[in-house]
Amino acid sequence: MAGVVHVDALEKVFRVPEREAGLRASLRSLVNRQWREVRAVDGVSFDVEAGEVVGFLGPNGAGKTTTLKMLSGLLHPTGGGARVLGHVPWGREREYLRRMTLVMGNRNQLQWDLPALDSFELNRAIYRLPREPFRETRDELIELLDIGDLVRKPVRQLSLGERMKVEVVGSLLHLPQVLFLDEPTIGLDVTMQKRIRNFIAAYNERYGATVLLTSHYMADVEALCKRVIVIHHGKLLFDGRLEALADRFGAYKTIEAVLADGETISMQVPRNETSAATARLLAENEVHDLTVEDPPIEDVIEQVFAS
Amino acid sequence: MSVMNAQAGAVRSMVDFYLTGMRTQIQIGFQYRAATYMYTIGMLSEPVIYLVVWRTIADQHGGTLNGIGGGQIAAYYIVWTLVRTFNIVFTPFGWEWRIREGELSAQLLRPIHPVHYDMATFAGQKIPWLIMYAPLAVGLGFIFHPSLHPRPLEVVVFFVAIWGAYVIRSLNHFVLGMLTLFTTRATALFQIWFLTELLVSGRLVPLTFMPQWAQSIAAWLPFKWTFYFPIEALVGAMSTETLLTGLLWQCLWAAIGSALVFVTFRLSVRHYSAVGN
Amino acid sequence: MRRGLQLAWTYTRLGVLNEMQYRANFFVAIFQSLLGVAVSIAVLALVYSHTDALHGWTQSELLVVLGVQILLGGVIHASVQPNMERLTQDVQDGKLDFLLSKPADSQLMISLRELRLWQLVDVVSGAIVVAVGVSRLQTSVGIGHAFAFLALLLVGASLLYCFWLILATGSFWVINMWFLSDLFEGVYQVGRWPIGVYPGWLRYSMTYLVPIGFAVTVPAQAVTHRLHWVTVVVALGFATVVFVVARRFWRFGLSRYSGASA
Repeated sequence: MAGVVHVDALEKVFRVPEREAGLRASLRSLVNRQWREVRAVDGVSFDVEAGEVVGFLGPNGAGKTTTLKMLSGLLHPTGGGARVLGHVPWGREREYLRRMTLVMGNRNQLQWDLPALDSFELNRAIYRLPREPFRETRDELIELLDIGDLVRKPVRQLSLGERMKVEVVGSLLHLPQVLFLDEPTIGLDVTMQKRIRNFIAAYNERYGATVLLTSHYMADVEALCKRVIVIHHGKLLFDGRLEALADRFGAYKTIEAVLADGETISMQVPRNETSAATARLLAENEVHDLTVEDPPIEDVIEQVFAS
Repeated sequence: MSVMNAQAGAVRSMVDFYLTGMRTQIQIGFQYRAATYMYTIGMLSEPVIYLVVWRTIADQHGGTLNGIGGGQIAAYYIVWTLVRTFNIVFTPFGWEWRIREGELSAQLLRPIHPVHYDMATFAGQKIPWLIMYAPLAVGLGFIFHPSLHPRPLEVVVFFVAIWGAYVIRSLNHFVLGMLTLFTTRATALFQIWFLTELLVSGRLVPLTFMPQWAQSIAAWLPFKWTFYFPIEALVGAMSTETLLTGLLWQCLWAAIGSALVFVTFRLSVRHYSAVGN
Repeated sequence: MRRGLQLAWTYTRLGVLNEMQYRANFFVAIFQSLLGVAVSIAVLALVYSHTDALHGWTQSELLVVLGVQILLGGVIHASVQPNMERLTQDVQDGKLDFLLSKPADSQLMISLRELRLWQLVDVVSGAIVVAVGVSRLQTSVGIGHAFAFLALLLVGASLLYCFWLILATGSFWVINMWFLSDLFEGVYQVGRWPIGVYPGWLRYSMTYLVPIGFAVTVPAQAVTHRLHWVTVVVALGFATVVFVVARRFWRFGLSRYSGASA
């Protein structure tokens, strides 16, 4: 058995009722229900060592969140197995739940009407943390993410980014050894995204925690993860170092330019020819606006899957 | 020796959790005073209507109905409001919302059984409720002139019984709520449940006003222990034996409720699909 | 005016189309309605097992009151309640601005945009209960009574709508109004019994403050031969006044909300 997280051919199949439009179809469906199988996670295997920060990339509906939900014990798989910290996650043993945490972006687990500090007290009671060490940990984390003035205000008065910060601290008070982060920076502005990323990196360094992070922002993964796993249609497409990913997937860049006469030029060039192509473009035209972009993740992965 | 320490520690932590959870709710409860008062008024209209209707009937019959006088009817329904405040728990209809909002997922991630959240939360709410409700109860007393002369034992049993009612109803509603994970038509089941409760729990009328066959049915169901028994303990003239066996019955139904919660929870967690949240 | 009617029709059509998608809800609504009627009749039966007349009203007459309450309840659950709940929600979430930028009467929009079609099953149930009650009356009901009945039903519906609107407008000031539906459901049950049953102060508040008395008992009086023409005049006058007040209050609340004079 290798490392902290061991996943073996994990599978989750949902049965979804088929719904057609029209009077006849719905009457028929009252009698004869048609079901459709959705293979959300289709035989995924990987191992993660202690202290690693692994990024899960993939478009919406790829199966990243479902995988995390299984590893955090929320869902029972329909096939395969997994062990985290030696426990079977969906057994939901108290010992396991005390050593891990799942943070979902845009989700509140704190009390809406009270200051975060009060919710932290509740967490202390839930996780049975002795008071003094708890206070120390709490104050340390508050300082690390610089939320001292935020924790005394009712959570509903905080902005989206501020709320995310207190949520993250709240979910780390019991010093979990495994962190599952599901789109933690979604909907946040760039500064806030950076802060949260830095905090996660600091926590990982300080406590040696293992972090599994899903995102469809390349920036999150680039900042935090040395290793990435690409999931699409429930299958694992890539598992390796970030550089290899960039080379293989981000092989092209898109250059868009708006010219003086209003015309727009858009072209795809191989990565290593980017600066040459840009230079030539600028030399040959009067350019009013220029963008050089990585291809969007969805397109890239579609390409890989197609090949 | 260490096992016993572990047990004692577990109990201490649970008590700690309940106290902390209740304290949190007390803070929140006092924040929303106006809304609570409005809700209370809505809640009060039910017993006041019953009170007025049954009193009218009693008055038309020369003052008593089934041997119960107007003053006792008033006492029944005013104590009803107190018992009602205590047996308000998380509604099974709320589970759909709870699942959709991800609250259930959040609870499942914690090392505490979700039933404790509801029990601690609603227990905490009782305290600001009672404090805010007390003047209303006094007001109702002035308007309707209840006749209430309880013995000391009855008062003691009453205090125990309202908490018993709270526990039984919490557990039952939790089991009902979990049915939402199994079927989309759970609300129909809830409605049948509440209809039954309305008729055989003493919520609508003192059970002694119901036809005999209804009373026999009521004896086998948990409903009368959440409304009728606590109210009658204070208002009626139950013998010491009846009072104490009543408490035992409450314990029994609480035990049954816990067992059902335990079993249903295991089954329903497997079914949980946590989709979208 | 014509624009308003067109808009009303459009909203209704959309609401119906929307609801038709959830055909299972039709069966659920029928089940709920029958259950509700069954409980109410059981309660009535229980009450009348102990007495022959409640404050002068016989069982058949009380059946009529019950029927009216269920009928109007259907209208409220189908249209008034969902719209007012959505209004308070929108105010709380700050989503009202989107609506206010449209060039149509705001009150019309917030009153008609939601429709829970299948709740109208209660209107049918209620009508049936009324019919059963009327058929068992000692005296017969003429065309004049029927007309008065329908007219007073409309008056009653209008009163209840205005009551809801005034409460919902309060959400401009008291942001959190989650208790509104519970409050109404609780108080609406008062209408199940003839208003005369309640002690004086309660009777007055249930007639004028929370117009349940007018809405439910008065139409029932029309077909149970208790109606005085004075009551009809007062009812019409009262409804008109309340409607004007509700609309003014709505415009006032709106102007405060958007910071401009509407």
